[in-house]
Amino acid sequence: MTAPYDPALAFVHWAPTKIVYGNGSVREAALEVEALGGSRAFIVTDTDLASKTDLPERARLALGPRYAGTFSEVEPESAMVIVERGAEAARSAGADCLVSVGGGSAMDTAKAIAILLTLGGTLREHEGYHFLDRSVTPHLAIPTTAGTGSEVTIFAVIRDEERGGKMHLADNHLAPEVAILDPELTLGLPPALTAGTGMDVLTHAIEALQSPMRQPVADALALHAVRLVARHLARAVEAGDDLAARGQMLLASTLAGLAFSNAQVGLVHALAHTVGPRYRIHHGTANALFLPHVIRFNAEQPEVAERYRAVAEALGMEAGPSPGEAARAVAEGCEALARRVALPRRLGTLGVPREALAELAELTLADGAVVYNPRPIADAREVLPLWEAAF
Amino acid sequence: MTHPFPSEEWVSAYGEAVNASASYRDAGAKWTHGPVCLVVKAEEAINLPADTGVWLDLHQGVCRAARVVDAETAQQAPFVITGEYARWKQVIRKELDPIKGMMQGKLKLRGSLPIIVRFVRAANELVNCATRVPTRFLDE
Repeated sequence: MTAPYDPALAFVHWAPTKIVYGNGSVREAALEVEALGGSRAFIVTDTDLASKTDLPERARLALGPRYAGTFSEVEPESAMVIVERGAEAARSAGADCLVSVGGGSAMDTAKAIAILLTLGGTLREHEGYHFLDRSVTPHLAIPTTAGTGSEVTIFAVIRDEERGGKMHLADNHLAPEVAILDPELTLGLPPALTAGTGMDVLTHAIEALQSPMRQPVADALALHAVRLVARHLARAVEAGDDLAARGQMLLASTLAGLAFSNAQVGLVHALAHTVGPRYRIHHGTANALFLPHVIRFNAEQPEVAERYRAVAEALGMEAGPSPGEAARAVAEGCEALARRVALPRRLGTLGVPREALAELAELTLADGAVVYNPRPIADAREVLPLWEAAF
Repeated sequence: MTHPFPSEEWVSAYGEAVNASASYRDAGAKWTHGPVCLVVKAEEAINLPADTGVWLDLHQGVCRAARVVDAETAQQAPFVITGEYARWKQVIRKELDPIKGMMQGKLKLRGSLPIIVRFVRAANELVNCATRVPTRFLDE
């Protein structure tokens, strides 16, 4: 049971993406491009995927005569300059539809390229939240990881080299028109990445469930995502060729994406966004590390603590009758899962020096996700103990 | 005496309210990121024929200038927040938190959100100042 909602509950749930799921469903790409009115589909993918796997090639073959070209220069944490180069390549190829193949970076890069293809200019000129007043170039997303949920979200995060941080873009027009979820494309994901991305899914779901923007539709999606992660993540990590486990994790990622695209994420993401780019720590790994600490922090407020009961049930954890016990069970469950999938447990082992913690606490407050933490945060001193606990 | 929102009188009274607020002076003390322009979308039905900008030259807890500007000038500000009349009315009445409004798409932000969210308390104080301006809404 989820905690009661405010009697004055009012919300809009935005989920425009068509979802095509199934083993081998990448072969549907041409038909989906055609349905979008596209005749020149341009693939956006990352360097590693293009050089070390055949996944972009599978998409190219599936597109057949609708294939217009490939941009394969996307790197982890894609940068503005890459987006601008990708837009130029897509424009030169006469692209009228984008097909992203990869993880969050490839999908986010394609979202940003779609803006530039439609509106022109530089990405800086379009920085903002809910700033678009019309649709952008159609986008078909084909995720090859089960983590970001970017295939159904309205968000794109691009590295901002000039300012040394990240540019956060959000707009209802950025949600891809179609997401093709083909579990076969995730079979080659290495165990460590499977683990990190899987814990990212869990964090999306848990934070969406605790958000002040929580609402029943997003909650239902998030709770099922938690159940799927609890049942299938360890298996997907330990037996990477288990197609069923891979498929369930891919679904969990999309469900959690649909949830947090509407309900938002909170403090765990603010902490991870702050430390990740600076010390090159994988986003999901950072989320996994902070998640139990933030759960305990949030649960110090009784009305927030009660909201963890539904999560405890979804995780299959036994919890006593008090709200604090439910939250404690969830924190322990998350720690146990992270341990089981062999993720690092301490910031200090990931190259973060102790003397950086105070500055990191200050920077945390600049992340938009802070606004959506269920326990309000106004001062860096409130989050410093979390950095110390995770260290 | 009430001032119609938006109008030169309202904006002038608002600038004075901001500068009279010790809370805003404190919360906005570190704001050095330039002017913020609040754009009210045109609405013929309430006799607001064109987009109207409320230009606030905010700097280190002080409002150095407050004036009404046209849509084109409004876009020169490094931070432009745009919304329909009804949304701004909700903000002034404290029915809509402006930061959450931006993140929910009820208000559109052009500019850096990470910079804005660092000043949540200042944004709230700016709303508190708006509530102190005797306001007459055009749709009432």
